[in-house]
Amino acid sequence: METIVPKSSTVFATLFRADLATAVSNRRSVVISLLVPMIILITWKGLIKLIGGPAVLATSITIGLIAIGLMSYTLSIARDRDKGIFQRLRVAPVPTWAIMASRISIQMVMIMVLTLGTFIIGYQYDGISLNAQGYILTFAVAILGGAVYLSLGQLIVGLIKNFETINATTRITYFLFIMVGMVGGIDSMNATVKKLVNFSPYGCVKMMLAGSMEASKWTSDTSTAVIVSIAYIVVFGGIGISKFKWNTK
Amino acid sequence: MTVTQDKYILKVDGLGVTYGNVVAVKNVGFGVLQGEIFGLLGPNGAGKTSTLSAIESLIKFKTGTIEVDGYDVQQKPLHARASMGVQLQSTSFQSELNVIQILQLFSGIYGVPMTKDKINQVLDEIGLADAGKKKFGQLSGGQQQRVSLVIATIHNPKLVLLDEPTTGLDPQSRRQLWERIEAIRDKGHSVLLTTHSMEEAEAVCDRIAIIDHGTVVAVDTPEALINRHKDDPEVIAVSRRGKVTLEDVFIALTGKTVRA
Repeated sequence: METIVPKSSTVFATLFRADLATAVSNRRSVVISLLVPMIILITWKGLIKLIGGPAVLATSITIGLIAIGLMSYTLSIARDRDKGIFQRLRVAPVPTWAIMASRISIQMVMIMVLTLGTFIIGYQYDGISLNAQGYILTFAVAILGGAVYLSLGQLIVGLIKNFETINATTRITYFLFIMVGMVGGIDSMNATVKKLVNFSPYGCVKMMLAGSMEASKWTSDTSTAVIVSIAYIVVFGGIGISKFKWNTK
Repeated sequence: MTVTQDKYILKVDGLGVTYGNVVAVKNVGFGVLQGEIFGLLGPNGAGKTSTLSAIESLIKFKTGTIEVDGYDVQQKPLHARASMGVQLQSTSFQSELNVIQILQLFSGIYGVPMTKDKINQVLDEIGLADAGKKKFGQLSGGQQQRVSLVIATIHNPKLVLLDEPTTGLDPQSRRQLWERIEAIRDKGHSVLLTTHSMEEAEAVCDRIAIIDHGTVVAVDTPEALINRHKDDPEVIAVSRRGKVTLEDVFIALTGKTVRA
């Protein structure tokens, strides 16, 4: 009997298939991550004249990205750790990076589906259209924005072990971001508070998305938002990965 | 005992595991021969799980070495893991996946992809021909153990680790699992199992190690241990119904105090 250590690419592909099947079967996650942004897009049709189509599109994508990073990714990692699923995988010849890379890849696929879905619904139902450059740039920025929330999710599962506490924390953070988005839209807001809101994880992603949809709206603040977003990814992801434990004991 | 040759598949030497200032395992050493069922027994908190976790390379250990089929678990963890199959104490799989998908997942990550026909054949062999489309959580405890055991041996490993495999099973399922474990041994695999059941250790283990307070206090065949200690006053004192059992020897060696 010769010891076979499977190729990392084979292991990754197998994990990806299983994680994809899990994600597709998990209807609640799909509904929260993909349907809620679509519902916003449809119900906010009346606001297009007021705040503009790109702003509605940017808000829908941002809400979807938050849901994917905070609810879908974080809760699936927390649940699987709590149930011992990671430990079962780790006693197999599976590199730990492959387990995480597979999970993150699934979320990236969801981000792409969300963004494309929002483009299609936005065009078909609300008549929101962008030029080719706008679509490509928005697609790329959505991936960057998604990475911000995924790294925030990683930070949460890195710092907190208990599933129930993670569940509560992600919901509160999700709600907080929605509130931040609403507060950020109030013009009479104090300038410092407005700046904090604009460069919060919510504000940065929304600003980047709005700027990527219309080249004329890309300002120096938008460029700063890109740098701040990368900093969020490095800091949140770095701490989240270094503090992450594979079991809850 | 059907030890085919004097070859150690698992060698644990001078193992030391600490968690902060707490010493969980100190200077533990034992070996599992090819084709034997080796039992690791001990009270709660004795160091069994830490020892097993070190063998599975789930935790880093401070001192000692562990080799699985010649592979050092710290130097070559993937090779060591590929040489063993593991059934964890509380096995859990993704609740959204059905039994066929779980088997496809694990056959893939062990590098032995299975066709649907092969999977159906395997399920048929363990009496779960109709359960392929069921979610793991919908299976009974005995059925779950059978699936877990199939996954632990799916890649034909030289060493199979079973962590309290019969906990929570009814007598019929337990007997059936014992037979499956013996069948694994009879095919030339080595089995390391932990258990709290002395009856199980006597029934299926070729050799056992009793571990307490992080150290190995005895290693031998169940019969040899009973014969060696049957006249000890401590053993006679704890013996019930006049006949010395492995449990009497275990209690005498590890004490009567209930552990946390």
